[in-house]
Amino acid sequence: MSKVISLFSPVGARVRVLSVCACVIGSIVNHVAVAADPVKIGVPIGLSGANSVVAPSVVQEGQLAVDEINAKGGILGRQVSLEVADDGSGAAGAQKAFDSLIFDKKVNALISMETSAARNAGLPIVSRGKVPFIYASQYEGHSCNRYMYVDAWVPDQQVAPIVDYFSKQYHAKKYFLIGSDYAFGRGMLDFTKKYIEKSGGQVLAAEYLPMDGSDWTSIISKLQAAKPDALITATAAGAPNVTLTKQLRAAGVKIPYGNLAVDEGTAKSMGADASGIFISGSYVTNIDTPANRTFLAAVEKRFGKDLKTPNDLSVPEYEAIYLYKAAVEKAGSFDTAKVIPALAQVSFEGPRGKIQMNKQRHTPLTMYLGQVQDDGSVKVIASFRDVDPGAQCPDLK
Amino acid sequence: MFILGLDVITTAAILFIVSAGLLMVFGVMKIINFSHGSFLTVGGYSSVIVARFGLSWWWSLPVSLAIGFLLGMLVERLIVRPLYARPLDAILATWGLGIIVGQLITLAFGRSVQMVASPINGAMLLFGRPYSIYRLILVGVALFLAVTAGWLFNGTRLGLQTRAVIMNEALARAMGISSSRVRFITFSSGAALAAAAGCLITPLTSVDPNMGVPWVVGAFMLVLLSGSSLLSLAAASLLLGGAQVIVSTFLNPVLGGLTIAVLAALVLRVRPEGFARG
Repeated sequence: MSKVISLFSPVGARVRVLSVCACVIGSIVNHVAVAADPVKIGVPIGLSGANSVVAPSVVQEGQLAVDEINAKGGILGRQVSLEVADDGSGAAGAQKAFDSLIFDKKVNALISMETSAARNAGLPIVSRGKVPFIYASQYEGHSCNRYMYVDAWVPDQQVAPIVDYFSKQYHAKKYFLIGSDYAFGRGMLDFTKKYIEKSGGQVLAAEYLPMDGSDWTSIISKLQAAKPDALITATAAGAPNVTLTKQLRAAGVKIPYGNLAVDEGTAKSMGADASGIFISGSYVTNIDTPANRTFLAAVEKRFGKDLKTPNDLSVPEYEAIYLYKAAVEKAGSFDTAKVIPALAQVSFEGPRGKIQMNKQRHTPLTMYLGQVQDDGSVKVIASFRDVDPGAQCPDLK
Repeated sequence: MFILGLDVITTAAILFIVSAGLLMVFGVMKIINFSHGSFLTVGGYSSVIVARFGLSWWWSLPVSLAIGFLLGMLVERLIVRPLYARPLDAILATWGLGIIVGQLITLAFGRSVQMVASPINGAMLLFGRPYSIYRLILVGVALFLAVTAGWLFNGTRLGLQTRAVIMNEALARAMGISSSRVRFITFSSGAALAAAAGCLITPLTSVDPNMGVPWVVGAFMLVLLSGSSLLSLAAASLLLGGAQVIVSTFLNPVLGGLTIAVLAALVLRVRPEGFARG
């Protein structure tokens, strides 16, 4: 005798009703569960590769922002979690990281600091996935995408303080430029050359070495033969900065030296060789504002002796997460179409001051000009409030 | 012009110092030690260790020689000797070793760039033009190295045995020379020299887990051109190093980086034995 119950018999009717009820209850439960799902913020970042030295500080500060936000109730009542993926500091890794974060982990937003190569590879995937992307890193400028905002500096903000100071303080007219041969190095120095010439100065030469080159001999000899008043460099971070500085000092070069690509931490560890170098950025640890002091206390308490010193590449991550929170609250929803316009309307008072990404997706920033001292600390010589980022994305309003 | 000449000589000196260890191993054992770059890195990190102990930089020279020699002994015994009859496999094994050493160093010291203070900083005035003192010192070191190696090679019993092994290993063994002992000492010395070279270049470059890698290709090219003679190596360093400096100065440094490889290929095409005699 068959044990199968036909769904269309009277007994089967009970089965149908019960199964419909189960489905309805199941979907209600599911909907409630979805509403309490955490908000996922994707962080594709160079855990390996060129950025591996700075990535830990970025992740730490992202984590601090998330912890602070969760302690106060999260975003629109939902707890926030970070999804970190390694992009290998390059294009191939970025494709994998962005794909997995957007399509596998289904993050609500991407907020991260990356190399320009990784960013450029990830943007088409962001467009396909229609996810808001806040790029929390300084870069060479003019990268535009309908889903992207930038909360860190561009050359228009970083170069001016150094060049203006050199021409005023040292009456520098003739400049020599040295850089690493890639997007950032060339982009920065192209802008620097235009700015110097617009300010009435003269660029004697701009010399480049491949990114992994360590022999600056011929370039330094050219520098000494040209006898410039000042030197400005934009090398890749890490080894090229160190090798160039060491070889410059070994050759006895003493003219004013502005380094567009060195951060406070690296400059500090370079010791005596770095003394006298001018750096320009939107964050130094001894910014004397209540917001920065509170931030530093919080980050020291959270990470203790594992703390990686906050720097100009990691603090924008902290502020970007808060900006995302503000935008979602203003839009009243996590829906990308509503969050994107809201990101331009909100602002956040962070360790770097007021951040509002309302200038063609970029933000005016207070820039600090500092000089490395003999003991390795950075002394702030001048600060410039609300430096405009210039016309970065005229086609995006 | 004068500065250009100094650039050429000092660059050649640096290339010579870096390549000498590789040449020794290639000349005697007929294999290219692709872990040469990691021995350079080990030498660089020896300076870091010495600095951490608070000692003067000059201690890093004997320390790097010692560490390089010990490491060389281990590698020769454990990796190279078992592959004596399979030179191609030995080359691959050294390549793998290079990767492993690089990763071990990363695990121990981290990925970031380490700073080592230079022992001598600044420039001295030569005929009214400033030039880096340290680079000039390296020229002296290269000369000292060449003279010492030459004396060891030509004036000692070990040098005689080594020359015999280079000329014809089978025949040397038939004459009672322990070729495995010669190989052992040669490899260890080559490694020690590589480590010392790595330590010597730290005042001019940074110390990071991959610092040795860019040097291996250039050293490899120079060694291929030089066979087993240190004199040929000196000539190759001067010519190719000089070409690199001239191209970098008058064209651009990106092309300068290509010069050694391109010239080496051309020379070998025209004269397969390179600069070696016969």
